[in-house]
Amino acid sequence: MTEEIGINQLKRRDFLRAGLVFGAGAAGLAAGYAAVPDAFARAVYAAKTSGVANDRLLVMIQLAGGNDGLRTVIPLQDPRLHDLRPKLAALSVGQALPLNDEFGLNQNLKSIKALWDQGKVAIVEGIGYPSPSFSHFESIRIWETGDPTRRQVDGWLGRTLAQNYDSFGHPLTGCACGTTDAPGALRDLQATLTVINNQKAFGFTGSGEIEAAVGALYKATPGIYGALFDTAMATARDSIATLRTSQASYQAMADYTDSQRLVYSSKNQLAAALQLASELIVTGTGVKLLHVTLGGFDTHYTELSRHDDRMAYLDSAVGAFYNDLSAHGMADKVLIATWSEFGRRPKENASGGTDHGAAAPLILIGNPIKGGLYGQSPGLTDLDSTGNLKYQVDFRSVYQEILGGHLGADPKEILGAAFDKLAFIKDPAGSF
Amino acid sequence: MSIAGPLDTPSQQAAAGPRLPVSRRTVLGAAVGGGAGIAAFRIMVYPRIEELVQVGTAALAGGRGDWISPLGSESARVAHLLRRTTFGATLDDLERAASDGFSKTVDRLLETRPAAPPPLPAAAVTPNGGLNIGQLQLWWVDHMLSSPTPFIERMTLFWHGHFTSDYRKVGLQTPYIYWQNLTWRDMALADMRSMLMRVTTDPAMLRYLDLGTSTGQNPNENYSRELLELFALGVGHYGEDDVRAAARALAGWTEPRPTRTLDVTVDAKNNVVRKYAVYDEPATGTFVANRAYRGGQLTFLGRKDTYDTERVVDRILAQPAAADFIARKVVQHFVAARVDDSYVKRLGSKFRSSKYDVKTLMREVLVSPEFVADHSYRALVKSPTEFMVQTLKALQAPQLSRLAQLSAPGMGQVLFDPPDVGGWPNNEAWISSNSVVARVNFVTAVLSQLKTVPPGTDAPHHLDGVVGQQTAGLLNTAADDHARWFLALASPEFQLK
Repeated sequence: MTEEIGINQLKRRDFLRAGLVFGAGAAGLAAGYAAVPDAFARAVYAAKTSGVANDRLLVMIQLAGGNDGLRTVIPLQDPRLHDLRPKLAALSVGQALPLNDEFGLNQNLKSIKALWDQGKVAIVEGIGYPSPSFSHFESIRIWETGDPTRRQVDGWLGRTLAQNYDSFGHPLTGCACGTTDAPGALRDLQATLTVINNQKAFGFTGSGEIEAAVGALYKATPGIYGALFDTAMATARDSIATLRTSQASYQAMADYTDSQRLVYSSKNQLAAALQLASELIVTGTGVKLLHVTLGGFDTHYTELSRHDDRMAYLDSAVGAFYNDLSAHGMADKVLIATWSEFGRRPKENASGGTDHGAAAPLILIGNPIKGGLYGQSPGLTDLDSTGNLKYQVDFRSVYQEILGGHLGADPKEILGAAFDKLAFIKDPAGSF
Repeated sequence: MSIAGPLDTPSQQAAAGPRLPVSRRTVLGAAVGGGAGIAAFRIMVYPRIEELVQVGTAALAGGRGDWISPLGSESARVAHLLRRTTFGATLDDLERAASDGFSKTVDRLLETRPAAPPPLPAAAVTPNGGLNIGQLQLWWVDHMLSSPTPFIERMTLFWHGHFTSDYRKVGLQTPYIYWQNLTWRDMALADMRSMLMRVTTDPAMLRYLDLGTSTGQNPNENYSRELLELFALGVGHYGEDDVRAAARALAGWTEPRPTRTLDVTVDAKNNVVRKYAVYDEPATGTFVANRAYRGGQLTFLGRKDTYDTERVVDRILAQPAAADFIARKVVQHFVAARVDDSYVKRLGSKFRSSKYDVKTLMREVLVSPEFVADHSYRALVKSPTEFMVQTLKALQAPQLSRLAQLSAPGMGQVLFDPPDVGGWPNNEAWISSNSVVARVNFVTAVLSQLKTVPPGTDAPHHLDGVVGQQTAGLLNTAADDHARWFLALASPEFQLK
């Protein structure tokens, strides 16, 4: 693990102590062109008049690499699982946390199981899309754009931003936490979004003149990347100004640190990203659509321990996040939804892992949820010609309910069509 | 407002709107009209930045100005070449290359015998014989800064992002990830057939994409799929049946056998001892016949045959898509993000007829008119590694390489740790609210460590003297050399190549 330290710990000598000397002209340029927006204005959710004005939030958790649905929501009674997976099945089934007679959750999803027991978890079985792609990158793009025909280039959340929220000047409306680049789901040429890898490092070191100077540098930049650079810088400065006011008032009310000794790593990056998300939410920064990622689901080998670790990361991070939101009185507003580009092959390989698959279940969590099992499990009998699970529910049915039921946006406008209804939102915001 | 006037009235300046109300021709005339302006690196005195800059005013869609390409001048073409094919240049390097000229510089880049990297420092090896990843990263950054053949390092980084592996999965107890770096340096300009054979049996790759634990009986598809999708052909040029056939045909390779093993006490309290592999020499995978596929003929990419690894590679390279696939990727990294299909096909066909010789491909790319076309000017975004190493090079501060190593995670490019099997993204993906802050902070940190810097008058030369209005205005008002360097290196101009 490369530590993200250094810059702030290095001794800054004369140059920083004195501050950069830019001369009067720089200050003038900076002041004239780069109006730092009023941070407090950001605390108000910005809804377009033509769009929607609800105060609910969405946190999407990407399980990158292709999550094994058969080790997440485990079929307890199907003997074929043991034939297909001699190394993987027995322990998964034996230790599962039963949801009913037929299905159980991975044994490490303890917090999520506790929320299930409270009716706050929806599990949608058999999610996928027609003619599945087994390429990570293609399938991720399909999920991100919400378009299996591969024509759409903007992300489904990016389009939601552009069509429903006035994100201009409100850069935190769409925000990716714990990453250095913008996730495809949030991308749209018309939408502004913020990317914050690590909040401690998200700010300009050195004197205030530095920030003013770069604010002036990144204005009217020529060239094909000019608008991207200028927007990125304006968004960064705006977000930093907002965060400066929020930092003082946030206190985590849950334990985000690892309690378990996990086999392959002791750092749960998802927990850090969700803690940042929590801070952005509870301090009223104006966040609306958040995206975080947990990697490592491409379990082609020694899957047993590796996948169990991923489940534990997911569970401890989500559990802490939910408790934190709850303690801050925000849990009623936040929907947590997982997604992954595909499930995995029912038959295990020689490396004690599984190759790329197709359909898989998807887990949605939070107080807005009407708990229960939705969709339809594909079953292990009727596999497709590639030996994969046949999808039963289009993934856009889930998006549709998130957009319409939870956010009160018009899903058809964003997804381009209507899909089978999945009513997992307890108290739907709209009647789409 | 006169362009030569000092900016002593900030409020007036701010209210005045667009600066430099001179025609583009005037400015161009001052800068490159005679073809001598920019060529005269360092000879040029530094009276006012306006006499050096060209302000972007050419129209782009959306009303935004474009950079005015200086690539009509030989010296600007040479600077453009070095910016894209090396890890930066000092003004001395630029002067020398400019006096050699473009085509001689291309020859030098391609034909100079690659310099070997120094041996790993003692600090890069742990007491148990494993690798220290931070020291390994630092070793490579140092070599990027000091190598007399930086083009080879640039190509090594390109292949590291293409035939990629990460140290997290490969592990550090064996030297595999280090060997892989040596391999792509050795093969930086080799031929694709040798490279595909080598990547298939590379120990780090055997682990990273699981071929080392696959069997013909019950194959692991991971390597086979990425070989077709990401290394050699691209989506759309193979089917699921081909992934399965190649997975069978390639099975049998295992990690190389160690020279000997070493017993290491990993937990003294509980007396836990583990056997660690020790290798005297870098090695490639071992083929174990009884792990291989023994089911006879397979149909792969439309032909039924008895396939082994060589035949799989040859069948892949028999597809016209293979040459275009690599040519396209090279273009996106070295020429422009938006790629013209006919250009790719032209390069692909030369690549194929050269028996997939990478040196031939790179020469064709660098001497192609597209490489120095006006629309290729600043058409690429520097990766974090390029940006950081070029910054240190420009400031002649190789001693600060550790700052580059420590700052990498915040910018999204950690050496030996790509985000996924697709390697690093490029161009637009490097621009985000997070990364602009991280890049600015890197420049701040570097300058904070330097008591003295090269003359501030040198700084705009690293931007070809082509800067936007804002950058020009700020450079003109910078009070000292630190500020001038800060502005030049933190500017959007310097993030581009």
